Amino acid sequence: MDSETPELRNMTFSVLGPAAPVLAPRAGTLAIAGRKTLSTPHYLPVTSRGVVPHISHDNVRKETSINGLYVGLEDFIEKKHRSPVFKIPVEANESPLRKFMCASNDLPLVLAPRRFPAIPCPPVNTQTSIAVSTSDGFHQLSAQQYIEAIQKLKPDLVIGLADVVSGKPPGNKRRGKMVDRTHAYTRDALERLYGNTVAADEKCMAAYFAPILPLDNAQQSLYLDDLADEFRDRLSGLALYESDCLSFIPESLGDLPRLLISDPRGPHAILREISLGADLLTIPFVGDSSDAGIALDFTFPAPPRSADEREPLALGIDMWSSEYAKDTSPLREGCQCYACRRHHRAYFNHLLAAKEMAAWALLQMHNFHNMDLFFQGVRESIQRGSFEQDVEAFNRTYVSTLPESTGQGPRLRAYQHPSGSNQPSRAPRVYGRLDDALQKFQDSQSSVVTPDTDAEGLEKHGFAEKA
Amino acid sequence: MQTKQTAYRDTVPDRIANTASVTIPSMQRQSLARSLFKNTRVALNIQSSKMTTTIGPNGQSKPSALTFERHAKCSLARAHSPLPHGSVPLPIFMPVATQASLKGLTYDQLRDTGCMLCLNNTYHLGLKPGQEVLDSVGGAHKLQGWDRNLLTDSGGFQMVSLLKLATVTEEGVRFLSPHDGEPMLLTPEHSIGLQNSIGSDIIMQLDDVIATTSPDHARIKEAMERSVRWLDRCIDAHKYPERQNLFCIIQGGLDLELRKQCCEEMVVRDTPGIAIGGLSGGEDKQEFCKVVDTCTGLLPENKPRYVMGVGYPEDIVVAVALGADMFDCVWPTRTARFGQAILTSGTINLRHKSFEADFSPIEEGCTCTCCLPADKGGLGLTKAYMHHVTAKETVGAHLLTMHNVHFMLTLMGRVRQAILEDRYPAFIREFFSKIYQGDKSKYPEWAVGALKGVGMDLLED
Repeated sequence: MDSETPELRNMTFSVLGPAAPVLAPRAGTLAIAGRKTLSTPHYLPVTSRGVVPHISHDNVRKETSINGLYVGLEDFIEKKHRSPVFKIPVEANESPLRKFMCASNDLPLVLAPRRFPAIPCPPVNTQTSIAVSTSDGFHQLSAQQYIEAIQKLKPDLVIGLADVVSGKPPGNKRRGKMVDRTHAYTRDALERLYGNTVAADEKCMAAYFAPILPLDNAQQSLYLDDLADEFRDRLSGLALYESDCLSFIPESLGDLPRLLISDPRGPHAILREISLGADLLTIPFVGDSSDAGIALDFTFPAPPRSADEREPLALGIDMWSSEYAKDTSPLREGCQCYACRRHHRAYFNHLLAAKEMAAWALLQMHNFHNMDLFFQGVRESIQRGSFEQDVEAFNRTYVSTLPESTGQGPRLRAYQHPSGSNQPSRAPRVYGRLDDALQKFQDSQSSVVTPDTDAEGLEKHGFAEKA
Repeated sequence: MQTKQTAYRDTVPDRIANTASVTIPSMQRQSLARSLFKNTRVALNIQSSKMTTTIGPNGQSKPSALTFERHAKCSLARAHSPLPHGSVPLPIFMPVATQASLKGLTYDQLRDTGCMLCLNNTYHLGLKPGQEVLDSVGGAHKLQGWDRNLLTDSGGFQMVSLLKLATVTEEGVRFLSPHDGEPMLLTPEHSIGLQNSIGSDIIMQLDDVIATTSPDHARIKEAMERSVRWLDRCIDAHKYPERQNLFCIIQGGLDLELRKQCCEEMVVRDTPGIAIGGLSGGEDKQEFCKVVDTCTGLLPENKPRYVMGVGYPEDIVVAVALGADMFDCVWPTRTARFGQAILTSGTINLRHKSFEADFSPIEEGCTCTCCLPADKGGLGLTKAYMHHVTAKETVGAHLLTMHNVHFMLTLMGRVRQAILEDRYPAFIREFFSKIYQGDKSKYPEWAVGALKGVGMDLLED
């Protein structure tokens, strides 16, 4: 084994207090030189094309506590030619990725091959590459290209390439392939990034999080053994795709931080993942809630309630509901987020009804603030040693699912929606609702004879088709 | 392949060719006599505490919530008296927050661009959230959390855009609600009532708007005369003249004689401010300039003049020289959502492939949050990154909207400064030179002609 010291890498992770190596909640700190320190457990905001959806860069800095970004390489590469992200001029040791997406210097950047959640790709993964969805179509990202991207783009943390099947559960034969390929990708990447043959000044500074596949323990035991032994010194963390995998992390890998790349559908699922030992989590439901017009409204530990309050509390408020049309109270009483300090429920109700983009921007700020407080409560609870009881109380206090969305969200983008010719239309027909009235108006008296718009305008309004 | 840089306009081609020749009607000669600096004015202060009293159409005293102060000549220095929601320097460009939100921006981001006065649309707010909610919440300022000034239009402009669905009668405008198809009637009283509920600092009369390009002269005359009658109804219906400034709207299409009559009728009614309406509907720019020049020549010096729905930087710079003070247009914000960035040298579409690896700021030297380098407290965004997110992320629209609004407001600040320093002609020359890279043969004929009318030769060195 090489004698690579952990200091060579920029990242350190320490667990606060005694904790069982696996299957127990734990609080810790993940520190990256020159970046904001992350107290764990914490969430990692997922980005889209380098932005936290709906929140502009200045507001991320000024009005949120966001302190890490999960970035998918597929958002930055294109099929046909060398991507601009590789062309940006940088100073020595400056990350081209950070500079390209104009992220502030103190924000830890986590690079993964794909965004999360990623849409299933019709092309299949191969021995040497995985299928990705880029802005100009599906495309194969080779393991080789990914390693080069890591070396050039200099993220702080990097999620290793894995052969994960999205969309449908893999068959038995495929599962074997998944393990073999992921094993090969990992071995190769670790060797090329940190191996003995790499010159000291060219060794990769990014902390490598090795993927653990969403499979049974037995199916990937050989791979896990190698992670625990041969690869151990080169690993900085583990990336898991399923919370169940937290149960078979080898004890010798127990001190590594665990990033859980999953899609919990609410705080109850988050608490379960944390209780199994997750340190960093992706929580896409925050953005989904904002898109749906839902203001998250839960705290951890749950607020104390008197014995006669039996009705469980809702996890969020559907701001589409007309009952808030005249409500001048903030989204949550006493909330210190930007949206609650500046605006009231009536405005949110109006913005959503008017389909104004500000609705999503402001709700997103509120919802992330809600999660900041939630995770802070979780960490304190773990350190107090009352996590288990607090979770029980939380489960008693709140309903288990987020409110159903009743309104419409922003326009869906190609990267959020599987493509294919037999997909139903994404949006209802907007124009044409006045078609019935058209006849009436043609017959009605009007002293004005000139049409005020051109054929295109008429067509857009559903009046007529261009011949 | 489109050209990389274009003069200010949308991607939509101009509808009317620029062929008409310049004829200077008798009205224009009047303004020829006025010096350029008599025409360019730089201050509007609207106050609530200190009420100025003007005489209304029926002879009774009419309170006004606005004082106009000319800053161009320092001798006119009076006590600083602000609008109900803060003092507004003139000339001004007002960004349009149609539905009580400026296209994804927070009001702190809008404030950061230097905006003191923005627009809401009465028609839209009347449909959503509606008068009942507005009354209950306490007006549009409280609804949207904006503590600076608001101006609302009357909803009359929607007549132009929804013409086929509307019939105009003496009573008001009958149309179908585009949201649910319900038949509706918008009268001057409704419009003012709604604007009273909205509580905007400047409200507009309901006018009978028709496209200036309409060939029906009788209809244009009828619309002008009806607008005057409706102004009287608006004045009578206006409940809060002490805190909301009602502006009249001069109509009359491109017929200068009609415009002149309308000016005379409306000036008598002594509203706190005066708007020139019915323009920016696709008319020839020479015609546009003639109308503005004719009207400003007839309007009192001590009142702000608002040219509605204008426009592109070139139009504004010329219209200021013709004596207009206030402008609004959705173009900077709308075009931002299409990926068009406004620069000193024209507009560029950041979606164009040529910007994908252009790592310079949107505009070098621009001080907006997007362009300002990170070490100066900005975001240091590059054209390449804007290309990456434009039309793909809502944030792309937010960022470019901030840049474009900032550009327009900064432009107005520079216009104001140039007037104060008595060098507006030099400013105009530099402004046009930058757009057309010094190539005078490309200068638009309408601008050269209009400026000649106020005694300035744009082509002179």
